This record gives sequence, structure tokens and C-alpha cells, in this order.
Amino acid sequence: MAPPFPHLHVCSAYSMRYGTAFPRALVSRAAEYGMDILALTDRDGLYGAMKHVQACADAGIAPVIGVNLALDAPATAPATGLATAPATGPATGPATAPATVAVRAPGIRTPRPRTGPDAEDRVTVLARGKGWARLCRLVTAAHFAGERGAPKVTRELIAEWAGGRETPGFGAEDGLVVLLGPRSDVGRAVAERRDEHARALLGQWRAAVPGVVIELVDQYGFRDATTAVRMLGLAESMDVPAVLTNAVRYLDPADHQVGDVLDAARQLVPLHPRHLDRTTSHAYLKGTKEMLQVAAKVCAGDQERMVRLLRTTRLLAEACAMDPLDVLALRNDPPALHLPEIGRDPVPLLRNRVEDGLHRRGLDRSAEARRRLDDELAIIERKRLSGYFIAVAGITDMIRDMGIRCAIRGSGAGSLVNYLIGIGEVNPLDHGLLMERFLSEGRIGLPDIDVDVESARRLECYQAIFERYGESRVACVSMMETYRARSAIRDVGGAMGLPPHEIDAIAKAFPHIRAKQITASLRDLPELRESRLGDAGLDRVFRLAERLDGLPRHIALHPCGVLIGNAGLRDRTPVERSLLEFPMSQFDKDDVEEAGLLKLDVLGVRMQSALAYALSEIKRVDGITVELDTQHGPERPDVQYVPHDDQDTYDMICAARTLGCFQIESPGQRELVAKLEPRKMHDLIVDISLFRPGPVNSDMVTPYLEARGGWRKPYYPHESLREALKETHGVVVFHEQVLKIISVMTGRDLSYAEKLRRTLDTPEGRERVRRAFVPLARANGFDDAAVERAWQVLDAFGSFGFCKAHAAAFALPTYQSAWLKRHHTAAFFAGVLTHEPGMYPPRVIIDEARQCGVRILPLDINKSGRHWQVERLGPRVQVRVRPSELEGGGSRVRREFRIGDIGKGYALRVPFSAIKGVSEAEVERMVAGQPYTSLADFWDRARPSRPTIERIVQVGGLDALHGLRPGGPRWRPGELTRRDLIAQVGALDRASAIGVQAGPRKSRRYSSHSSRSSRSSHMSPMSQGASAKDAAPPAVQLPLGFSERLPPGELPEMTETEMVEAELEILGIDVSRHVISFHEELLDALGVVRSKDLLRQRNGAEILVAGVKVATQTPAIRSGQRIIFTTLDDSTGPIDLTFFESVQGRCASIVFGSWLMLARGVVRRTGARAVTMRALDCWNLADLDALWRSRGIEAVRAVIDRAPEEAAGGVGGRPIEYANGFRLSPYSDLAPPATANPPRRLWHASPGSSGPTAA
Amino acid sequence: MSRLYGDPIEVWTRDGEPTQFVWRDRLYLVRRVLDHWVVAREWWKTSEADPGERQFWRVEASPGREVGSYELRYDTAGNGWLLLRAWD
Repeated sequence: MAPPFPHLHVCSAYSMRYGTAFPRALVSRAAEYGMDILALTDRDGLYGAMKHVQACADAGIAPVIGVNLALDAPATAPATGLATAPATGPATGPATAPATVAVRAPGIRTPRPRTGPDAEDRVTVLARGKGWARLCRLVTAAHFAGERGAPKVTRELIAEWAGGRETPGFGAEDGLVVLLGPRSDVGRAVAERRDEHARALLGQWRAAVPGVVIELVDQYGFRDATTAVRMLGLAESMDVPAVLTNAVRYLDPADHQVGDVLDAARQLVPLHPRHLDRTTSHAYLKGTKEMLQVAAKVCAGDQERMVRLLRTTRLLAEACAMDPLDVLALRNDPPALHLPEIGRDPVPLLRNRVEDGLHRRGLDRSAEARRRLDDELAIIERKRLSGYFIAVAGITDMIRDMGIRCAIRGSGAGSLVNYLIGIGEVNPLDHGLLMERFLSEGRIGLPDIDVDVESARRLECYQAIFERYGESRVACVSMMETYRARSAIRDVGGAMGLPPHEIDAIAKAFPHIRAKQITASLRDLPELRESRLGDAGLDRVFRLAERLDGLPRHIALHPCGVLIGNAGLRDRTPVERSLLEFPMSQFDKDDVEEAGLLKLDVLGVRMQSALAYALSEIKRVDGITVELDTQHGPERPDVQYVPHDDQDTYDMICAARTLGCFQIESPGQRELVAKLEPRKMHDLIVDISLFRPGPVNSDMVTPYLEARGGWRKPYYPHESLREALKETHGVVVFHEQVLKIISVMTGRDLSYAEKLRRTLDTPEGRERVRRAFVPLARANGFDDAAVERAWQVLDAFGSFGFCKAHAAAFALPTYQSAWLKRHHTAAFFAGVLTHEPGMYPPRVIIDEARQCGVRILPLDINKSGRHWQVERLGPRVQVRVRPSELEGGGSRVRREFRIGDIGKGYALRVPFSAIKGVSEAEVERMVAGQPYTSLADFWDRARPSRPTIERIVQVGGLDALHGLRPGGPRWRPGELTRRDLIAQVGALDRASAIGVQAGPRKSRRYSSHSSRSSRSSHMSPMSQGASAKDAAPPAVQLPLGFSERLPPGELPEMTETEMVEAELEILGIDVSRHVISFHEELLDALGVVRSKDLLRQRNGAEILVAGVKVATQTPAIRSGQRIIFTTLDDSTGPIDLTFFESVQGRCASIVFGSWLMLARGVVRRTGARAVTMRALDCWNLADLDALWRSRGIEAVRAVIDRAPEEAAGGVGGRPIEYANGFRLSPYSDLAPPATANPPRRLWHASPGSSGPTAA
Repeated sequence: MSRLYGDPIEVWTRDGEPTQFVWRDRLYLVRRVLDHWVVAREWWKTSEADPGERQFWRVEASPGREVGSYELRYDTAGNGWLLLRAWD
């Protein structure tokens, strides 16, 4: 029996938009075939290498790693023997290929397409058994040599990294081997029957690289066999080893259609034979027997040749097989970690820093802190991680020195060391946080410190890190963007040649689901059923799109991961350039950990930017410095501290007025905080932990609230667990509590407990834990009943809890944002509006600000800034600043919380950046040129584009300057109107267009009293721009002060409706009036209840509500239904509606498709101040309004009173059932489909606006 | 000089390879397979679920003493053979 065939040329799905099978699938197929060696040679990178090696190690197969790279061919195909390879001496740097540049003939060089018959040449480079480091370096060099995303190599570049030639044949043990297949320069020369040229090229390869091998491929394509036979002949005549591969691209023959689509998608062309790589479907992972047939065919039945060919293939495979443990650093014992260089011994260094920290934080006398510290340091030092902590502390110090807000997040907050050396600001001892959740003895894997920085300045942080450590020691982590429904439909549609706008409409009709849910969703989701896309003859598109599901599409920068290593980093991971030119590892976050590389997550958090901006506005407007991260300090008039027990802040939170705050602004959270009534930081921590899919699904909320409210006795499985569960009244909320339960019951340490906890995730794991837990607990002296009770708690909640350190880290910015909202309302909203950290669109935030008493001021070219700015109305109100002090500390009388007062005295100014389509440079100029004296002055000096300045006029940016007062009568002769100004803009534009001046426009003062018209006075407002152009005089006028005289009042003023329409279209915000106010008459006629009156409704009442839809969510819900949560805004506050599946049949498309909504629902009172509505039916308010205007109120009543026809079926799809009985709709937790935009006209809804596009 | 035909023929195979065929009422024995390749159809143009592949065989075969070269085509979707060309 012949030994199994080793495949040495295999592309997986990580050859982006080329391969179709994942490494694990390929490996398991190879294992089924009984193969013992399998290579992975993806195109352009080692993206799948770690996964391949892992899969091989698990399957007991020896991995081979290689890469398939494009050759940067010399200019024109040189005549035989002409292309003399320059000496392959040590080249200068990896980033350049000077040798090639020299070879490149000055002649014409036509770029070759990347695929198809004329595609670029490609070679496969395999790493020898110990050649991993060289392969990484070569891939990095190839990426830095080519354009971004299109790496290229030359013979010389490969030679540079190929290693020594001490051993003949396949080169050095730690070197590289080049496979020259039919797609290589040699192979193409052979195919073109240019034998001499092929010999010359092969000679050059052999001179340059020690390990050169000819690769024969026969995929049964036309002339494949002929070329292979001739290449074999060439190899034999020049005594070069020849091997057989199948250039594998598919797992099964049937995958070739997917491959074709990918070929087309990669090149952005429709499917056509001339764009395709393949001619047959034979590029699949063939078994040994099939490969023997290929070998026989290539050798034309010559038995001896065939044996030799297969033997050489085998020898090469064995020479390249690597030990998986060389790459999988984490599987070694101890793990072969890649640690940053500190310069000196990191152990005493960390100890010193920690000691300093103890004093600085005032913990030097705390025995508890000492004890905890000893434990932590012991683990850190045993794991040899001291250097990592020093490096991270260095980075966070650096970030703070740059004046960037920086907070720790995640489990790292549980470590006292992190607190002491200043990485985080959360004291774990205060909150009972444990380090074991972060770093423990038994935990395999690396600690992961996450820090949040201001999102707007994240890249600055990256830049600083790269500057400090040097690019060779640091790299960003990457991540794979994979095909999902929308992207798959786009690419398949393009390949099938559908028109782009149709593709766009089809793709957008789908929510953000997985590609393989496409067909099912057409059946299951009411809004898609209604679109009738399923009957549009797109079956083949959908079927192919489903098959792209999950395939990597392109590589992107991971949002936060930064690798911190030493000079050898690039021996361990290949690095390429990201879009922003940061060096980026080709490994994703899992690969990185597996490779033993340490990373720091630097996450950009918009809320941190918003907080920073709010602080700067407070400083600018009120001259007060708010020390957001300090609770107490020396008393100074211009400094405020932020104690964590400010009851005014908690009053606001309890009233559920948390819109805009971090973490607690969603409808669900507003409902929860109203019920939970947080009064201290710990309550916020619990609140954040409870608001997770797990706790919500297993209904931990109700028992907690009942026990907290004292309506139910806290339940402790055993008296000794009281300590662990007391803080949450007997309900398991935190991971830390799970650890404590396990530790108390079994008597083992927390590291062991953490190991068990991690196993609780799966049913099998729970069974395993049970088998370990029960005997240990019994041996520890607990009786059977207690053990059983404790186990039941673990079984039910063990896998759900939330890491308390995480929640504590989140609770801090949550509280800080709430504090700022309460005490510096306007500045807080300025920050929120500028950095948009939350889930709501700006107009909702604006409305909330308005309800808090903050005035919203319109755009004004002399007062608006780059971003939202606070303006003070009148002098500062001293009382507002320190209310708790006035009450005299402890004996504070609880006042009724009045939301309308907290922002009084301040206003927010609409900024230039809110204008639709404005460029950054325009904003800069407009701000720099302030103040302006007239429209013409503004036009001259700020030089806005014409659409921009027209928009500014339309939303009233010049009202103040020119004293305009829109609203009221439309015709006001002699008085300037906004429309007059727009006409002036046209005149100014024409004046500059006729070449009146070159360079900066000279000032041409506009006189508001000039009159004498040359224009007719009746002009439809909307066509005004066009007619202004028509009416333009022949453009040969001389530059007078003003070539066109436009009398004021010539054109009608905008009505209030038109103003709001313009504001919505241009700013996305209704500044002057709330949109809903236009519908008040209709709403009153129908008896619609307003948000502020909801609290007065009795539970179970059936009422009508209306508003602008501001948010739609379909989160994960316990029952396994898809539930739509929608928030309406009716200018008096938010209204939260819940659509259950039973009503979605008739409501879904209206909910997703309309902007103004009227809904009928049942009031549900969920707490003293919490009300939500269960929706029964809904309508597009714009449609009803049109009906009302045309047919009167009775017609509207008839529509809404009509008994809802039985729904056309609810939401389908089998819920995903989790082991613990937790069911989840397959369509939950998705961003909704096509978002409805404000209509262009407030009064007339277009008939098609109420649903997704029908094909 | 080759001629194009395109006649439907009957073919006997062993292990997927043609061994003999009948063309115009004469039996041809396949002496040697000269070449064998596969051409996938442009599946995106064909109607439905047609994985249609065409296998081509260039063989030396003899209907008696004289040996000629023939090109046979096998249509996987239709399961039919054609004699495409002959060099005789």
C-alpha cells in the first residue's frame, strides 16, 4: 500500500475571495482520507495558518505552512536568457526590492490582470520544518514591497529570506522552498512552448534560491496534462526535483460555482470565462487514489517516473512538516510567551512600582491590600508577566500624559496591581472584585488588559505607542470581515450581472442576518414576505449568496487590539499595512493568543470623548474645572469634584431620565433603573450586570428586585454562602459570586474555582463540573441537601453571571455621565451631540435637552462653532452648582425631581458641522473668519460652496445677521426674506463665476436697501434655484458693486412648515419646532395620549400614542420570539412600544418603514415611574394625515377602528435553543433593515414609503 | 487533417475511460488515451441546477488495422457521448 499522498498546495477560505473551504474542514477531510501531512498555502498571507496548525495538531496530522504569492514580473517578457538575474546578495531592507527595479526594462509594461488566463505569475513558497520565522518575514516583506493589499515578491526578495544552502535539495532546515507550478513564470513559459526561456528562468531561480522545486498540476483542464508532462521533462533534464500537487481550492467538486462567483467578485466583473481562474471543477481536495490517477496521467503511465514523482512529493512534505508546538506557543508547558523588552529585570521594577502605588493610593497600612498584593504578585511572577504590566502601565501613563481620558475596562479592573500602578482607577477592594477572573493559576491563556480611551483620539494613542516602541515591536491585531447576507447578495448580484441599483435595493431589504439565513428569512420575516422578494426570480442569487456564508471577505483593523512584543515580533507573526498605514498582524485575536503574543486592547469609546468635550465646554463657559475622576479634594471655587454618592444624580437616574447616559439609556435600561432605583455605585454595578441577555433570559431580575424591595426573603443555599451572596440578596449576579460559591463549597482556591466556572458554559461542561463539585463539597463537610441546593444555583446561573469587575469598570463612566447630565446639562449634551456615543439620533438628544430646560439655538454664522457649543443665558446661577451643600449634608430633604430645571440658563448652539454635506475645510474657514458683517462678507471670506451656503440660509444661519423673522405672513414687501438671500447667493455665485476676480474674492458689500428688480415677482419657491439661473443675464457684465439688484421682499418668506422641513433635511434635527407639533390637531381629534401623561394611565388601558420613531431594536429575549422594541418621541418624552410576534404580521413593515407613527397599545405599568406599551396595531402617521386632509376625521377613525385583519402569519424560524432552555429567535439582536428617513415633505407621504422595496 | 463530426455514439468504458465505441456501424477499439480534459459549462447561463461538465477524450483507436485519432466528448449532465473529430 502506497503511503498517503500529501497535498502541498492548498488554499483555504483565508485566501480571500478565492478559497471556499475552512482549514478545519480541509484538515478533517484529509484525516478521513488517512493523510498524515497537509499543507496550507493561502494566497498573500498566513491568515489561516494558526487555525490550520491547530486543526492539524488536534487531528494528529503534521502541518506544512506556505504562502502563495504574486510575482512582480520584470517589464516585458525578456528574450531567452536575457533576464540576467542580478547578484542575489544581501538586499538592503525588507521593504524595498531595489534589484527588481533595476531589472525592470524601461519599456512598456502592461499590467496583467490578477486572474484569468493572462493573470499575474504566482509561486508557492513553503516553509521548511523550522522555517516559520523566515516565512513570516517573507510575507511581511512582500506586503511592504507591493501596494497595500496586493503583496508582490521577486526572486531576489524570496532569495533574501530563503535561508542558506548548506544542504542540497530542499535548502536549509530553517529555510524556504519555492514551488514553481504552472502559474509561475517557468510554468507559463513551458505552456507557451518557449522551452529555452523556461530553462533560463529555472536556472535563475536555482541560482537565487537553494530550495527550488517544480510543481506539476493537472486539473483535467485543456492542455493541463501537456504542460505538466513538459514541465516534468524540464525538471528531469535540469535535475530539479518535481512534485505533484492539485492546487486545491475547493473541498468538494460542487464548490466550483462558489469559486467562480468569488473570482468575479474579486475583480468586480460579471461572470465570464475570460475572468475565471478555473476551467474545471477538479481543484478539490482529492484522495490518495485520485491523486495516483493524476500522477499516472502526468507520467503517461511510466511506472518508474510515477514512483519517483510521488516519492519526491513525499520527501518534500516530510522535509516541510513542522512541529505544531513550534507555532502554538500556548500549548507548550510552560507557554513560550513573547514578552516585551523592558531593559532591566522587570520583577523588582514592578515590585517597586506597586510599592509606590500603595503609598500614593493611601493603602500602605492596609493589611488586606498587602495580602492581596502578595497573592497577585506571586501569580504574575510565576507566569513571568511582570514585564507586560510594566509595559501596559507605561502606555496608559503616556496616554494620560497626552491629556486623553483613559479608563480600564473588563476583568483587568479586578486586579489590585492594575489599580496600584495606575492602569485603572477602580479599586478592586472597594467592590470585592477578584483577580482570578482576570489572571489565575490554572487559566490557560493570557491576561487581557483593556483600556477605553476617547474615540476621537484613539489613533493618536496608537501613533504614540508605535513611536515609543518602534514599528518592529508593535502591531495591531486584525480581524476578518466575513460574508453576511447583504454583502453576499451584493457580490453575487454583481457577478450575475444585476443592475447596481437593484442589487442595492435587494441587499438593503434584508436585516443584518447571516447569509445562510437568506432563504429562511424570506419565509419567516413578515416585512420580507410582504416585499415579495422571494418570488422575484432571484432564487439562484439567493442560493449562491447563502453558500458564501461566513467566508472571509477582507481583512480589517481590529477595533482595539495592539500587540506588544520585542524585536522578534515579526518572526512570530506576519505583518501587513492597514488602511491607515498601521502595521497590522495577519492574525486575529484568537490566533494572537495562541501564538503567545501579548496584547493590550485600546478601545475607542465615544462616551469618553463626549465626557472630555463636556469638561472642556464647562471650563470654557463657566470657568470651572471638573475633576471627573476625583471624589474629594481641596475646596476651591473653580474646581468641582465628583463624589460617588451625589443624591441629585441618583434622583435623576431613578426618574429614568437617563437618555444620553452611558449604558443606561436604552428603553430596557430606563425601565430597569426605574424599578431598581439605584442609590449608590453598587446598585449601578448590579443594574449593569442584570441588563444582559443571560440574566434577563433566566429572569434573575424579578427575584433580585423582590428581595431588594423586601417582598421576598433572600434565599441562601447554605448559611456559609451568605457572605458571597449577601450583596445581591441571594441572587447570583456576578461571576465573582460563582467563584466564591465554588471556593466555599469545595474548599479549593479561587484559581480552581475559576477553572470550573469556565467549564460551566456547555451542558457537557456542567456535567463535568458536577462530577468534580459534588464529591469535593461533600468531602468538605456539607450535607447532601446543601450540596444539591448549591449545585442547583450553579447549574442555573453559573454560566450567566456577569464579571463584576467589568460592570464596576462600566459603572464609573455611567455615573460620571449621569453626574454631568444632572449638574452640567448643556455641556453634557454638547458632548453627546458632538461625539454621538449612544443609540439615539441627534434629534432625540436635542429633544431631551429641551425637556431638561436647555434652549436650542439655531445656526448662526457668527455664533456657531465647529461643534455643538454651550451658550450661557445670563449670569451663572450659583445655586445650581452645589445643591447638596446647601441642604446641609446629611439632613437633606428629598425634593421632587424636576427635569425641566436642571438645564435652565443654558443653551446649545447648532454647529456648522451639522450641516448636511459640509466639508471639514469649509467648517474651518467659516469658524476662522468670524465675525461676518453680511452675506457677501461670509461668501467672500469663508468661501463656502454654493449648496452649503444655500443650506445655511435655509436653516436660518443668517437670520440674526440680517434680522429675518420667518414664520407668519409669507409675503412681506420691503422686508428681506430667506429666499431673497438665496437669490443673492445665486447672484454672488454668478458674479464670481464670470471671472470678476482671480484668487480670493474681493469683498462686495451687499446693501440691503438696493432695489430695482429685473425679475418677475411670481416664482414658485421650489424652482427658484433653477429659474434664477434661467433669469441670469448674459454673463459679460463688468464688476460693479453688485451686478444684479434684488429688492428685499421680492420672494416669499418660508413658512414654519418649510422651516422645519429644511431643518430636518439639512440638519436632521427639528430646531425651531418639534415635527409632531404639526400633527397636533389630528392627534387631539383622535384622543392620542402624550408621553408625559402616560404615567396617569391605568394599567391595562388601551390607548393611542404617536410620535417620531427614534429607535428600533430586536434584542435577544427569553421566550425565543423576535420582539421589536420601538421608541417614539412625541416632544414630551419617549414612549416605548413592544411589538410581539403576534402583531408583527401586520405591523413589521410599518414599524421598520415609517418615520412618523401612530400606534394603539395597552399600558403596562412596570414600576412607580415606569410605563411601557404593548403594541396592538400601528399606522404610518403621514398616511393618516394625508387621509385626514383629503377625507376628514371620520375616514381616519374608520381606518384605525377597523378590526385588525388576522395577521398574515407571524415571525417564523425555529428559535435557537440553548442547553439551559434559553431560546433565542434566529432574528434577534440585529440592526433593523432599511432605516426610515424623515420624509422630504412633511405633508405628503409618497405611496411607496411604507415598506421595503419590492423587486 | 481532422474533420468535425458531432455524431452521437455508443461507448463502452472501464474505470471511466473509454475502451471501445461504435461509430457509423463500425466498432473501434481504443488503443491508447492521448489526452483527457474537462471543460465546465458556463453554468450561470444554463437553466437550473446543471452542474454540466464536458469530458473530452482524445484517443487512438482502430476499427481494424489502420489506427486513427478520435476526439470523444462525454456530457455528464446528459449522459451522452459524441464523436467530435477524427484524424484519419
